[in-house]
Amino acid sequence: MTATATAIPVQKIRRRDRPPTQKIRQPFAERIAPYLYVAPFFVIFAVFGLFPLLFTFYVALFDWNPIGEQTFVGLANFERLFQDPRFWNAFVNTFGIFLISTIPQLLLALGLAHLLNHATLKMANFFRMALLVPYITSVAATALVFSQIFDKNFGLINWILDLVGAPAVNFLSSQLGSWIVISSMVMWRWFGYNTLLYLAGLQALPREMYEAASVDGASGWQQFIHLTIPSLRPIIIFTVIMSTIGGLQIFTEPLLVAPESGLTCGGGRQCQTLALFLYEQGFGQFEFGYGSAIGVALFVIVVVVSLINFYLTTRTRKARA
Amino acid sequence: MNRRKLALPIAAVGAFALLISGCSSGGSGSESGSGDPNAEFEFWSFTGIGQKDSVARYLEENPDAKVKLSEVGSTTETATALTAALAGGRVPDLVMIQNDDLPKFVENPGNFVDLRTLGGDDIGDDYLDWAIDGATAENGSVIGIPTDVGGLTFAYRADLFEAAGLPTDPAEVAEMWSTWDKFIEMGKKYTAATGEPFVDNVETSVFFSTVNQVSEKYYSPDGELIYDKNPEVEEAFDVAVRTYEAGISASIPAWSSGWAPGKANGAFAVTTAPSWMLSGFKTDAPDTEGLWRIASIPGVGGNWGGSVIAIPARADNPEAAWQYIKTMLSPEGQTEHFATTGTFPAAKDALESDEVRSYTDPFFGDSPVGATMSESVLQFSSFYNGPDTSAIGAALLNALVDMEAGNVKPADAWKTGLDSAKAAIGG
Repeated sequence: MTATATAIPVQKIRRRDRPPTQKIRQPFAERIAPYLYVAPFFVIFAVFGLFPLLFTFYVALFDWNPIGEQTFVGLANFERLFQDPRFWNAFVNTFGIFLISTIPQLLLALGLAHLLNHATLKMANFFRMALLVPYITSVAATALVFSQIFDKNFGLINWILDLVGAPAVNFLSSQLGSWIVISSMVMWRWFGYNTLLYLAGLQALPREMYEAASVDGASGWQQFIHLTIPSLRPIIIFTVIMSTIGGLQIFTEPLLVAPESGLTCGGGRQCQTLALFLYEQGFGQFEFGYGSAIGVALFVIVVVVSLINFYLTTRTRKARA
Repeated sequence: MNRRKLALPIAAVGAFALLISGCSSGGSGSESGSGDPNAEFEFWSFTGIGQKDSVARYLEENPDAKVKLSEVGSTTETATALTAALAGGRVPDLVMIQNDDLPKFVENPGNFVDLRTLGGDDIGDDYLDWAIDGATAENGSVIGIPTDVGGLTFAYRADLFEAAGLPTDPAEVAEMWSTWDKFIEMGKKYTAATGEPFVDNVETSVFFSTVNQVSEKYYSPDGELIYDKNPEVEEAFDVAVRTYEAGISASIPAWSSGWAPGKANGAFAVTTAPSWMLSGFKTDAPDTEGLWRIASIPGVGGNWGGSVIAIPARADNPEAAWQYIKTMLSPEGQTEHFATTGTFPAAKDALESDEVRSYTDPFFGDSPVGATMSESVLQFSSFYNGPDTSAIGAALLNALVDMEAGNVKPADAWKTGLDSAKAAIGG
């Protein structure tokens, strides 16, 4: 109370100190202008981002037939979801594919960025740009090629296995095998992108640091562990969080890799992810209510995992600092 | 000064507001044209069914008519777009719906014009009974007119049959595999002689055929779910399991990465061939020209696919759309459409016509393709399909796919299929 009472005279004094010609209050139009400049983004975001998000929470409480009746069912969709073995199967698949694709991918990207940053590398720009080719290739083309490579009967990998006398592997039929197929597609697509992010971070580092390390007798590996990784920590945190959000929503790859079984990615749903399960229920079965409930669950999972990520990465940063 | 500064952001916001309202509005259209049969109408079709050709012929016959044809995408994509449109968007005046997607729409007939109001109560008489039944709602409203059906046959490699000592003439082959047990026996002979699998897979080539050769499928005639206790369905499923256990299946699912190469390189000698799949043989395996033959499937009658054409209730120009249906989907119209595009007709008179009956194709060694297919759909039986028919079908199919992948024991496949069908329809 007393604090606010004393604050007012201070402000008054300050205002009185200003030259008398300057306007104290800006006109309404000028105050609102900046908001109008940023408004288009927020309006579009509200219409296409926020509203659908909130509406999904609403629809999840209904048995919602888009062209028929909509009945309020409360939390029945969620009750069904938690007892649905297909949901837990998709949950396990999503995390399996996420772990298999993200961890090796980021490690590979980090190592590759370190190599590409080497001062003596010839044609560095060529290699750096080549990394982007998988990223700009359409996912559909990638899926087509990868499903041919991993094909049970006529695929490249099984042909090589056959040459060395090993039995053929039906990758897509088993859970782990289909995870590997999909993860390899995800890695193929994203590792170049992440490499470039790391490379950009590395190039901002002063070269003298590495020179000093070399003079002190640090090996390449020691430089990588003690210089590269600590300096890249903010970018590593960024890529981990972005990969988490993307990895938990993998959709196109499992949709396209096993077209013969429709939207289930295999007869036993061995590679159906949560996003694909959502699509199957919403747009395959037209069960919008149940599909929305899956969407809400996926939203909660992504938020929780991102928070854990954030907590772990900031804690290690504090611990090291 | 201030006003000028403000003008730009306000204009920007205004432009975006316009953009957004432009996205969401629409659908009102011109009310004036609704009674005019030559008013422009919007027509949503699938790709790959030759609808452009049909529209061109319609415009030749009716030079005053105006058609705006959109080939939306695959059958599923068209159904999804229609769902979105019906739920709250701009609807077309005329739309094609594939038979697998149809029950979901028939379930809510209020979304469509009851075509009896335009064409009279006997509107369905020209078409195959089971095809028009599929488009008839519980309240008797007819929401679609069949445009085509998917006459089901088997395609087999005459050269491979000959090498295995089996007959090669379509009539002899059909006679030899007249029942599914005989089919399995024949497969065993083939595999014993060649060491190669006989049929591509058991889920589409066997189960999709057998499960439709029933008097009741997943629902009783009054709409009760009986998929788990209908002995006909269990037997249909068991035929597929027995085929697999006989060791004559290549276990290559239709449309999987090995399927198209398999057709070309003889990885299997028999595969399913509904009318709309015939062109796929020519693109997947052009070098096998003249080696394939077409014969009736074991058992009696078969159909896979087909579609209907419907007029949404909120259409702007139902009269114009109706005139198109009347002209192009008549038995004569369907016969002509078959002659130009190969789309297999659903009208009874068209199926009896010489054009259809005498149709052969040199790619298939001049087998009697037209006669075989029209027999298969004329003998096809009618049964009630409910809203969950396709979900149950997909669950049972996937159990067989999983069995062929080696993940489910043949003895457990039926139970696995029932469990996942149960989960699919919500317990």
